Amino acid sequence: MLVRAITAPGLRRWCRGRRGAAAACFPLGRALLGVRGAEAAVFLQGLLTNDVTQLVAAGDAPPALYAHALNVQGRCLYDVILYRLHGSTAEEPHILLECDSSVLDSIQKHLKLYKIRRKVTITPCPDLSLWAIIPGEQPGDASSLPKCADQALLLTPDPRAEVMGWRLITKKGANLSEIIPGSQVGDVQDYHRHRYKQGIPEGVKDLPPGVALPLESNLAFMNGISFTKGCYIGQELTARTHHMGVIRKRLLPVSFPAPLPTHGIPEGAEILTESGKPAGKFRAGGGELGIALLRLAHVNEPLCVNLGGDKVKLSATTPQWWPKPAAK
Amino acid sequence: RGSRCPAPPCPGRALRRPLAGLARAAVPPQRWASSFAEAGPTDSSPSEGQVFLSESCVKRLLEIAEGSEFLRLQVEGGGCSGFQYKFSLDTVINPDDRVFEQGGARVVVDVDSLAFVKGSMVDFSQELIRSSFQVVSNPQAEKGCSCGTSFSVKF
Repeated sequence: MLVRAITAPGLRRWCRGRRGAAAACFPLGRALLGVRGAEAAVFLQGLLTNDVTQLVAAGDAPPALYAHALNVQGRCLYDVILYRLHGSTAEEPHILLECDSSVLDSIQKHLKLYKIRRKVTITPCPDLSLWAIIPGEQPGDASSLPKCADQALLLTPDPRAEVMGWRLITKKGANLSEIIPGSQVGDVQDYHRHRYKQGIPEGVKDLPPGVALPLESNLAFMNGISFTKGCYIGQELTARTHHMGVIRKRLLPVSFPAPLPTHGIPEGAEILTESGKPAGKFRAGGGELGIALLRLAHVNEPLCVNLGGDKVKLSATTPQWWPKPAAK
Repeated sequence: RGSRCPAPPCPGRALRRPLAGLARAAVPPQRWASSFAEAGPTDSSPSEGQVFLSESCVKRLLEIAEGSEFLRLQVEGGGCSGFQYKFSLDTVINPDDRVFEQGGARVVVDVDSLAFVKGSMVDFSQELIRSSFQVVSNPQAEKGCSCGTSFSVKF
């Protein structure tokens, strides 16, 4: 396994600035797939929305990249984060691909279908663990820099948004307090709450394969797409929408003021304005938070969902991390 | 080994049809023995499939191929619709290649790519926007992208 010196300038800056807020580390149930070989980058380039050559280029490019794999019709199939493990361009490319664990088998099949004669190997990495490190909200004891490099493979800012903190890849069974002193292992449900509060979709529940559209899922806001790279599966519709179309609906974080019924809100439930106009559809959530595909025109209005005759109120917010001029 | 005519409509007739320019699976004749050391079997079996060359394809290849050059057709994953055709001029034939010859012009396809293009015709099309080798009437391909380079496969 590759061992690399861990430098995380953002983490250092943040630790100093907060005078020691405890880092909340969440073990993620996402799967990791290793793609290695001389043609690894070229192979992935034709299948993903983002520019994989940026990931493997010489220089100081960040070692993480967010992207979607689309189907031929331009709809989302898998949301992935790519990590560069190899040290320099002289080494054979070694890329780790993070995906929803429930689709690990289908994503492998998808990759193998398009591999044909490419010189790449695709193997799951069950011996690695993936963590999310989210900036905490309360001040606490001083956190120091990660010290223990041999158990951690990679520590890098989450490529999607600053509010998502960092991603950490370690060997399975690694002791997190040795890698990031002062850190506390949190409940992954709190990680999901944080995601829904910020409006960051992740996994097949938030991005149903064959249903979600990349641009409506804020792929461009999350640095997950390049409009200047060559052809990839599903590019035609995506490029056409970007250059010619108007995006009227987006995934937005929603919250429910009143307690919800036990089974929660079903995926696809219609959201209406107070006057009964269709405003969008609920996508996924947990507790009093969630994300919904909403028409941007109705974002700031009071909204509701019809649940078996009852009107359940909800409200949407425009995330702070969205680019400012485009948040309309 | 006898030569095989690809499946034209009338079995038993060895006539070549000049318009369609159907290729025959190549028999390794003596003149090839000098161009590569290994006399691998480059005839495709019936299950592997065949690729046909149009008249314009043969004509263009005879114009541009120098020495032992032939046209290599490969299928790669990626591209707007999932798979894309890649044409190149090559001189090296490998054991897992299948050679299709017509009128002295050769098109070579490796077995993996052949699975995606069997039954297709390679054409040289001259249009206002470009002149290029194209794979036309691929029985396996479903809708393609607007420029013709990429295609998806019927399952």
